Amino acid sequence: MPTFKLDGKTIPFEAGDSIIRAAEKAGVEIPHYCYHAGLSSPANCRMCLVEILPAANQRAMMLDIVEWDEKLGDYKAVRKPKLQPSCQFMATEGQEVLAETSTHVIEARAGVQEFLLLNHPVDCPICDQAGECKLQDYWLEHQKTPKRMHDEPVHKPKAVSFGDTIVYDAERCVMCTRCIRFMDEVAKDPVLDMRERGNLKEVIVAPGRKLEGHYTLMTEHVCPVGALTSKDFRFKARVWFLKTAKTVCQGCATGCNAHFDYDPRSNKALRYRPRDNEAVNKYWMCDEGMLSYRDVTSNRVPGALVGGKPVKLDRALEDAKKRFGSVQKSSIAFVLSAKHSLEDNLALFELAELCASRALYVTGAPDGYSDDILIHADKNSNTAGVKNLAPEAKSFADLLADASAGKVTHVIALGGAAPTEEVTALGRLEGLVTIAAHEGPITGAAHVVLPAAAWIESSGTFVNAKGMRQLAEKGTEPLGASEPGWKLVGKLAVAIGVEPSWTTLKDVRSMLVATSVPPPEPPSAEASAE
Amino acid sequence: MLKHTNYLTKVYGVKDGHTLAVYEREAQGYQAAKKVLTSMTREQVVDEAKKANIRGRGGAGFPMGVKWSFMRPHATKPAYLVLNADEGEPGTHKDRTLMEENPHSVIEGCIIGCYGIGAHVAYIYVRDELHLSKARLEAAIEEARAKGYLGKTPFGKAYPVDVHVHTGAGAYICGEETSLLNSLEGRRGEPRLKPPFPAQVGAFGCPTTVNNLETIGIVPSAFLMGCEEFSKLSALHAINDGGVRLYGVNGHVKKPCVVELAVGPTLRELVYDVGGGVLGDKPLWAIIPGGSSTPVLRADELVHAPDEKSPLHEYHGKSILDVPLGVDTARGLGTMLGTCCITVMAEGTSPVAAMQNLMQFYRHESCGQCTPCREGSGWLVRICDKLMAGTATMAELDTLHSVANNIMGNTICAFGEGTAMPALGFLKKFRKDFEAYVRDSQAGKRATLVVEGESFLPPSANAGAQAAE
Ligand SMILES: Cc1cc2nc3c(=O)[nH]c(=O)nc-3n(C[C@H](O)[C@H](O)[C@H](O)COP(=O)(O)O)c2cc1C
Ligand code: SF4
Ligand code: SF4
Ligand code: SF4
Ligand code: FES
Repeated sequence: MPTFKLDGKTIPFEAGDSIIRAAEKAGVEIPHYCYHAGLSSPANCRMCLVEILPAANQRAMMLDIVEWDEKLGDYKAVRKPKLQPSCQFMATEGQEVLAETSTHVIEARAGVQEFLLLNHPVDCPICDQAGECKLQDYWLEHQKTPKRMHDEPVHKPKAVSFGDTIVYDAERCVMCTRCIRFMDEVAKDPVLDMRERGNLKEVIVAPGRKLEGHYTLMTEHVCPVGALTSKDFRFKARVWFLKTAKTVCQGCATGCNAHFDYDPRSNKALRYRPRDNEAVNKYWMCDEGMLSYRDVTSNRVPGALVGGKPVKLDRALEDAKKRFGSVQKSSIAFVLSAKHSLEDNLALFELAELCASRALYVTGAPDGYSDDILIHADKNSNTAGVKNLAPEAKSFADLLADASAGKVTHVIALGGAAPTEEVTALGRLEGLVTIAAHEGPITGAAHVVLPAAAWIESSGTFVNAKGMRQLAEKGTEPLGASEPGWKLVGKLAVAIGVEPSWTTLKDVRSMLVATSVPPPEPPSAEASAE
Repeated sequence: MLKHTNYLTKVYGVKDGHTLAVYEREAQGYQAAKKVLTSMTREQVVDEAKKANIRGRGGAGFPMGVKWSFMRPHATKPAYLVLNADEGEPGTHKDRTLMEENPHSVIEGCIIGCYGIGAHVAYIYVRDELHLSKARLEAAIEEARAKGYLGKTPFGKAYPVDVHVHTGAGAYICGEETSLLNSLEGRRGEPRLKPPFPAQVGAFGCPTTVNNLETIGIVPSAFLMGCEEFSKLSALHAINDGGVRLYGVNGHVKKPCVVELAVGPTLRELVYDVGGGVLGDKPLWAIIPGGSSTPVLRADELVHAPDEKSPLHEYHGKSILDVPLGVDTARGLGTMLGTCCITVMAEGTSPVAAMQNLMQFYRHESCGQCTPCREGSGWLVRICDKLMAGTATMAELDTLHSVANNIMGNTICAFGEGTAMPALGFLKKFRKDFEAYVRDSQAGKRATLVVEGESFLPPSANAGAQAAE
């Protein structure tokens, strides 16, 4: 691989890498606002300026500036080299680049930083970005000087609603155009642009339009400062109190990598942010996905249910025992769920084996909207995982047909979701137990519902549409009486008189190895494009 | 050396001088284009053009022939010639006279230019306010089309050429060539990143040459007389600054005007012989040599060129007013020839008011893309405003140069330097005056940009005086 030197350190690069990109991949951050690995480079913020030493046969381009000479009582002519934006300048073999080691670069960064804060309101106490704001971070890292301009700053529109999801504050905006470029280049809807000139500039929504579609929240995410805020998250939390779990979005089969932020003090979920993964979601998530962190609380199974009435878990298990205890085990049908983790599904699959049942079915949410950006029509997070685990499993439609025909009388299922609302056939079953986190057609029809933990309440593995096996960490604690699905399958097994072959998550995972499910993805190299 | 010529200006002031008939009768109109298209190859045109030593008239002084030689035929894309007639630089007023008085020289230049760079279409980007200019260009194009000089087979040669006038909306930044191309394409007028340069990716993504209007306007004259001969008209032919060009004189002179001169008149000649001397016969105080972006010169400055290799060495120790004015000699004086229109200031002019006036312009015209220019230009004005109001502190005065330093070289386009250079120029040359404005809060109230009793400007055109009230 070709290399160049950055502050004396050897940095490898691939053809087409800018200096900043190559450095980023090598784990060296060159400060920047407008650059984003997933967008074009306008090189407008000028924070990433570096000094490129001229090749042996070239001379550096020098610029005339002045210095104040106290002794002389006059200006002194001095020269400085022309700096280059590292986000625009391509890396070339053998090139020597100075950043931290160039006084000119250090001065330029401090200068840009001072310019950006010149008319900035610095309303950090009431700004959602505080704590994860480049202006704040870079002031400390690259400026550290007090304000020299003490006059009234330029005032511009504040709290402008851009649509249903986003609010804009022109005074906080650093005019990096990331939001504009995101809408243009990634969302393919160039609905944002600039108006006015100079220090009166502001971002606007095209007249007659609003910021809408499936990717509006990404504009907030790419904004390096607090100029764009999400209506959903505004004034809800100080980010430094939040903890983050690396998870996988459950919204569709794309399986976007996500950061799940929650307040550990109150066990409260607050937001999703994309977790960069070049191979899956690059740097993005869709709005539906971003807001699906709310599924931790919305539409949850409130606790154990028998005949739709809340009961203690023990009572529910007893009821299951009554219905299933005397049935021939091999006649029980098992319904895996494409919306549950491999762990939950594996436990149920194992139970079917222990029962010597061959009656396997799969359920999951119905198909929905899709596009060629991120959103997959399959609204299940683990379709491929379940398919790998039980390729022979029959469809949910088959289950309904078999239930109507009386071929199936006793069913143990995962999840509440079903591809159809029309599940009257399930009413013919003599026993239907489901282990579910969320309400759905199956929970509605079930005699017994056991309250499962949601995806974020226990660690789980999901296989996306590309066949990539991805691990989701545990975030918040299980709500109410809910427990991880695989654990409840174990309890249910005991209740119906089967000795489960697992007791811990580790046991379940070790059984996973023996299945035909693809091996886990190596942890994604996390680019720092946020 | 003052040498009046009239290649471009022959038809200036002549009745119907802007028409094809007069252009053909008085100035051998379209003979050069005919000669080029019927007897020369493209390569010959470029080689010949280089010999003319025509330095770009838009401000940077880049040799036109060399720029033409950058154009390479593209496998699939057409090439374009784009003429920059945005003329937005304060103190610049030469292109307008050419469009109004001699539009056919521009159209003829377009034919030769298109042929030379391999284009079939030229766009002339004219600032919107110049209504007569646009009308004259349009009329000239119609006349040339009617005669077949523009069209499918100009002068019998199967090399189609057409010219279109495109209107800007009056933004200074649209004079910057890549911003102009964006504007031409219907986009926001913001400069593009370079590279790629317009010769690779220009108008509509195609190879493009952008030249100033006058640069192209003088081309027929050069080709008619032979490009080398043409270059030799200049006093600075030896340092590759050839031919003749339009020199403008404005500000505190008795006769503000635009004249055509062989390259190389001195500032003294321009002020006294061409401009008729300083208003009210006041002492000459300072000169902005080529549009507002070029650093100001004090009238009492002496040439400092001890180095024998310097093109200015022979003037070492002499007054800067006696140096022949060309692209490289102006650079030697620490400024720029720019657009070649000088702004003359009489003694009594306030340097603070002058700088404030210029900085107001730059703040207003910055496209706002890059941080240093967007924020720095605004900051410079604020401090100038406070100096004028008598409320600035010494610390603020000392901030000015550091703001300009931080803009310099750190921006996408040359607008940044165009803002920082004049700011640093005024500071360096008039620091003592600036200090007086800090010590004496009344100083700004007495500041003026006009010569008492002599102003030919309406009072409202004088921003500095207004601010002082
Ligand atoms: C801020 C800015 C404004 C400019 N305005 C003009 C203009 O009004 N007319 C012009 O010919 N060139 C202008 N230029 C210079 C052009 O970018 C370009 O160099 C020129 O048109 C090239 O033509 P030339 O080589 O024939 O001089 C401007 C440059 C800058 C940076
Ligand atoms: S964007 Fe918000 S957090 Fe960042 S500096 Fe401004 S006010 Fe403070
Ligand atoms: S709103 Fe944010 S992302 Fe958009 S231009 Fe302003 S600072 Fe950049
Ligand atoms: S230097 Fe000024 S005018 Fe030029 S691109 Fe930057 S902000 Fe715009
Ligand atoms: S990151 Fe390079 S100029 Fe903004």
